[in-house]
Amino acid sequence: MVRQIVVEGFDNCMRTTEENKNSNVYILFSSSKVNGKSWCPDCVVAEPIVEECISKKSDDTVFIFCGVGDREFWKNASNPFRTDSRLKLKSVPTLLKWGKPKRLEENQCADKELVAMLLEED
Amino acid sequence: MPPIDGSDGLKAMIEDLVNKNRVMIFSKSACPYCLKAKDLFKSINVEYHAVELDKLDNGPAIQDTLQAMTGQRTVPNTFINGKHLGGYDSTLKAKENKTLEVMLDGESYDYDLVVIGGGSGGLACAKEAVKHGVKVACLDFVKPSPQGTTWGLGGTCVNVGCIPKKLMHQASILGHSIEDAKSYGWELKDEKVKHNWETMKNAIQDHIGSLNWNYRVELRSKEVTYQNSYGEFIDKHKIKCTNKRGKVQEMTSRYFILAMGGRPRYPDIPGCKEYCITSDDLFSLPYAPGKTLCIGASYVSLECAGFLTSLGFDVTVMVRSILLRGFDQQMAEEIGKYMADHGTKFIRPCVPVKIERLEEGQPGRYRVTGKMQDGTEVVDEYNTIVVAVGRDPCTKGIGLDTVGVDVDPKTGFVLASDGEQTSCPNIYAIGDVLKGRPELTPVAIQAGRLLAKRLFTSATLKCDYVNVPTTVFTPLEYGAIGMPEEVAIDKFGQGDIEVYHSHFLPLEWTLPHREENVCYAKLICVKSLKEKVIGLHVLGPNAGEITQGFTIGIKLGATKADFDNAIGIHPTCAEIFTTMNITKNSGVDISVSGC
Ligand SMILES: Cc1cc2nc3c(=O)[nH]c(=O)nc-3n(C[C@H](O)[C@H](O)[C@H](O)COP(=O)(O)OP(=O)(O)OC[C@H]3O[C@@H](n4cnc5c(N)ncnc54)[C@H](O)[C@@H]3O)c2cc1C
Repeated sequence: MVRQIVVEGFDNCMRTTEENKNSNVYILFSSSKVNGKSWCPDCVVAEPIVEECISKKSDDTVFIFCGVGDREFWKNASNPFRTDSRLKLKSVPTLLKWGKPKRLEENQCADKELVAMLLEED
Repeated sequence: MPPIDGSDGLKAMIEDLVNKNRVMIFSKSACPYCLKAKDLFKSINVEYHAVELDKLDNGPAIQDTLQAMTGQRTVPNTFINGKHLGGYDSTLKAKENKTLEVMLDGESYDYDLVVIGGGSGGLACAKEAVKHGVKVACLDFVKPSPQGTTWGLGGTCVNVGCIPKKLMHQASILGHSIEDAKSYGWELKDEKVKHNWETMKNAIQDHIGSLNWNYRVELRSKEVTYQNSYGEFIDKHKIKCTNKRGKVQEMTSRYFILAMGGRPRYPDIPGCKEYCITSDDLFSLPYAPGKTLCIGASYVSLECAGFLTSLGFDVTVMVRSILLRGFDQQMAEEIGKYMADHGTKFIRPCVPVKIERLEEGQPGRYRVTGKMQDGTEVVDEYNTIVVAVGRDPCTKGIGLDTVGVDVDPKTGFVLASDGEQTSCPNIYAIGDVLKGRPELTPVAIQAGRLLAKRLFTSATLKCDYVNVPTTVFTPLEYGAIGMPEEVAIDKFGQGDIEVYHSHFLPLEWTLPHREENVCYAKLICVKSLKEKVIGLHVLGPNAGEITQGFTIGIKLGATKADFDNAIGIHPTCAEIFTTMNITKNSGVDISVSGC
């Protein structure tokens, strides 16, 4: 069963990841919506595609949608998403499998085949 | 919208034209691209049939029907042997990447190229080939080692070769650097710095995991079809692919490239396959190896013994006869001497006879019996036994005999022309499966790229297998380009060879008072060729970095005078090559001292 969890910010994301460490955890880092609008066009394109792919998964999986904040916060090179050694994000959207060296960045997240490949079992 | 009226009739008419004419062009008489397309076929002496749509009353209706059939509305709209090719650009591209020939022959394959093996050579070749607009598939399948180790896409170098090996070498160098650091004023609180195998292994395996993943993403993005399956030939244009669940699929292709690489060889003695590991297992070993025996004197054996010793393990190397066969023997012995001085033990000349398990565990305990050349038996116990006595090419049991690819009957290496073509003309081979070529990653990559260019463009450049530089990453690195001294003497005669040589002491070694006469460099020159340098050898820190740059000079035919003319960079190790003035013949002492 896939459980989907929506979180905002680094601390919430890390807490949710920790709480679910016994499951397969995937995280999509995406722009936070300001007044219901996203500041990152690539994220808007990627989200429905990622959502469609995860809806097909059946095993014990937790899917976290994490908002990385507004544009100004994200662009700051010292924000924890960019600096934390477990994440070291370079761009949004980034889709990754927690604890594994597998990730997709930017328009790769909108490529159904690549997303499906990332969601495959190892 | 295509006209409803009579469109079925038009479709039948188009199909009839397409089927009756080997090359069928739907054209317009005044269209410049149509003229170009026709000229193209004329230039290769191929007859075509053209229908000029602007001259026909139902021309627009035909055009509509063509669009419905092919998705292309523009002219020229070209068909070959019943298959849709496209407009002028597609035709030109097909001519350039040589797929037009295949279409004209009426052949039709699933792929233009299937590469068997997704290692250094195979991946490079596949990625180059797709750039030229052809259909490419790459098969990569890793059979588990006898100990059960497997790995991801990328082949030997990335998973169980160059990459993890160099990283473990670096771990060992850092150990030395920590020692040296004290002489440079670093006050290390804990005098006994410890190494954690698992931490190192996990970090290395993580890095490899990200490389495996990136290769898969890259293939997918570049539209190379990747299959994690094992390939076996059915006939010269057809291959059977079996995935790990046993699912079988067949693929046809115009060309195949053999890039299966090699795997470690096990000596045929009792207990070897059951209890020994190889380089296929060592770099992902989940536990610290403990007291280790490395069997063999290959570079893999010496490199593993070197870093394991530096990481603090009790390591012995069992050597049948010489060290580093094929390499300059003076340098090989110097490496052995340095390693022995730094704690690696050597049993020599000795061969293993049997291996018994005394205790299971991680690591376990094993008894190894060896036989010295004079017949004496040597017995000792070890926790881990690494065999590294050579590698065999993965050419058995994949139907190479069925398709007529000649291999060396003794060793299994593939025999190929200087353009990497095998005895079966549509099958080529690159990398470690090839007989008589250096088994190195950059060689496989270069051969793969150039081959793909030759197959699918007008390029003619072949891989140059001469003067390939290489480095053995033993604790003291050994870099070399060109001939070993004994080979040079064999070829030119002792009298025509002049060897310049020198010890050197890296400046960085002075403060920690490391030993003085171990780093060494030599240039092998041919007197009758104006002292052309045909061999460059260096033993010292960063020998790989030193050797790489000199490769260009050697390839361009540099002489000793050119080396003398070059100005050094001070203070470096590499600068030694600009100031060498003592010949071996002179017998002058070359030792250096630190003061
Ligand atoms: C311990 C070690 C250290 C090394 N260090 C260095 C170094 O420092 N520098 C250097 O240049 N070189 C080094 N090498 C050599 C280098 O790794 C090889 O030369 C290089 O990987 C050869 O590339 P390749 O493409 O020929 O084959 P490989 O990289 O071996 O790839 C072949 C692939 O094909 C797969 N395969 C085999 N048969 C089939 C089949 N029938 N169907 C599908 N897939 C198949 C294999 O599983 C493998 O994945 C080292 C090798 C070892 C073992």
